[in-house]
Amino acid sequence: MRYGQLREPAFGVARSVQYAPQTLRKVTGCPLPTMAPYAAMDETHISIEQVSFSRGDRLIFDGISMEIPRGRITAIMGPSGTGKTTLLRLIGGQLVPDSGRVLVNGLEVASLSRRRLYELRKRMGMLFQSGALLTDLSVFENVAFPLREHSRMPEDMIRDMVLMKLQAVGLRGATELMPAELSGGMARRVALARSIVLDPEMIMYDEPFTGLDPITMGTIVTLIKRLNRALGITSLLVSHDVEETLSIADHVILISAGKVVEAGLPAELAASASPWVQQFIQGLPDGPVPFHYPAPDPLEQFLGGDHA
Amino acid sequence: MLDLFAGLGAATLSALQRTGRGFIFLLRTLAGVPLLLARPGLLVKELFSTGVQSLLIILVSGLFVGMVLGLQGYVTLSKFGAEESLGVMVALSLVRELGPVVTALLFAGRAGSALTAEIGLMKSTEQLSGMEMMAVDPIHRVIAPRLTAGFIAMPILAALFSAVGILGGYLVGVGLLGVDAGSFMSQMQAGVDWRIDVLNGVIKSIAFGFVVTWIAVFEGYDAVPTSEGVSQATTRTVVHSALAVLALDFVLTGLMFT
Repeated sequence: MRYGQLREPAFGVARSVQYAPQTLRKVTGCPLPTMAPYAAMDETHISIEQVSFSRGDRLIFDGISMEIPRGRITAIMGPSGTGKTTLLRLIGGQLVPDSGRVLVNGLEVASLSRRRLYELRKRMGMLFQSGALLTDLSVFENVAFPLREHSRMPEDMIRDMVLMKLQAVGLRGATELMPAELSGGMARRVALARSIVLDPEMIMYDEPFTGLDPITMGTIVTLIKRLNRALGITSLLVSHDVEETLSIADHVILISAGKVVEAGLPAELAASASPWVQQFIQGLPDGPVPFHYPAPDPLEQFLGGDHA
Repeated sequence: MLDLFAGLGAATLSALQRTGRGFIFLLRTLAGVPLLLARPGLLVKELFSTGVQSLLIILVSGLFVGMVLGLQGYVTLSKFGAEESLGVMVALSLVRELGPVVTALLFAGRAGSALTAEIGLMKSTEQLSGMEMMAVDPIHRVIAPRLTAGFIAMPILAALFSAVGILGGYLVGVGLLGVDAGSFMSQMQAGVDWRIDVLNGVIKSIAFGFVVTWIAVFEGYDAVPTSEGVSQATTRTVVHSALAVLALDFVLTGLMFT
């Protein structure tokens, strides 16, 4: 698909409206994102170099480094509380690392001025775990929100764009609903439509599968995969749902205790000799990560009658 | 003993940090106010929820406060045979003090708490964070219209409170207790000075509106993003606003009327 051509055959949407790139640029006033399908697929999009970050006394990342390739689905996995969401916020510039660098398109995020950071964010989409929909706006207005804020599009073009994105997530019929009337899965799909409405180069998904029923989960998995394959958007997926994540990821990075434990293709991880990796992937209750929280000797504690 | 000093020091530092954050937040918000000229719709929407939706409580309270003033004033003034001065007493009490102060307290309870809860919940449900990631500054998009709306609405509400209060005093004094209507109105007209009384009252209500709205939006934006955090922030808005209004009233009254 050429950029500026508002057709999404991958989603079965036959659009009659097409806009030339220069018309779209003139009307929207938005910078045109690089079309990922034409970009080198193994080019690094996001680079994290020796990043350390702590909250209060708690060290979350201890000199962590990784590279996220352009146009691929990269999954960042790890147990709860390992800082996966924090990593997304560091990439989005909502948090600043204590040391090290986060580079997006070669730009160091923490050193950007507010105006340049916002320019960069226009090319990033983010799907929050909660959806983060604006509760006082309808589904239509939520999806239209970034367009209204960042462009001077005429109303009929906004309508076309919004309906097209809602069609992509299967919710074209839900335009008038308010966020309070949506199920968790629907809210996440609306949020997904909103995150792609500016045609971003990359999307960050924060725990997109958490709390969903199997059908909705399957829908979200399919949508993430289709968005990536059809539009070539760099997809950064943070999750601890092993099966769903491994089924669509091109590249997986496992993190724990502030460091990268293992990285590679899903098949490589499945075949890993590391007991920790095997425990995580297979969801075993006991292993290198013990089932029991550290406690005194059971005999001593049970017979001693002491809680501590 | 050392712990006591350490605790005091930590509390002082925390209070200073918070005050600093409040001022930086205010400056960033004020920088976003001119942008509202390009999008007046945002301001109109907030004026409706902050001002229009506070009207009922303000008007009803104003009426009752005026009626109580009429009753109390009549009882006291009639001891000295000065019940004809009821109009000026009611009007001065309302325009100089009760109008701005009571309106500000009611405004903090009605609109201020709602502002804090709304912004705090937007924070806890990641709506503000989501806006930031969509390259929309939530301070300009969410906070600036609300601060400006509070700033505009409060003096108007205070003026309406005073007007309705005078009407309440008139109804009780003239309608119920038999004070002469002509004396009520003429003494009020002669005794209330436009610049000293009315204008100073308006200045007070502008100052109170600014402080109450600032506290409300800052508490919401700075709230811990949990249900308990939002609840505590809402309580702080009402308490801090009430204390700030009363303290500021003392200072302003000292500057204006002495």
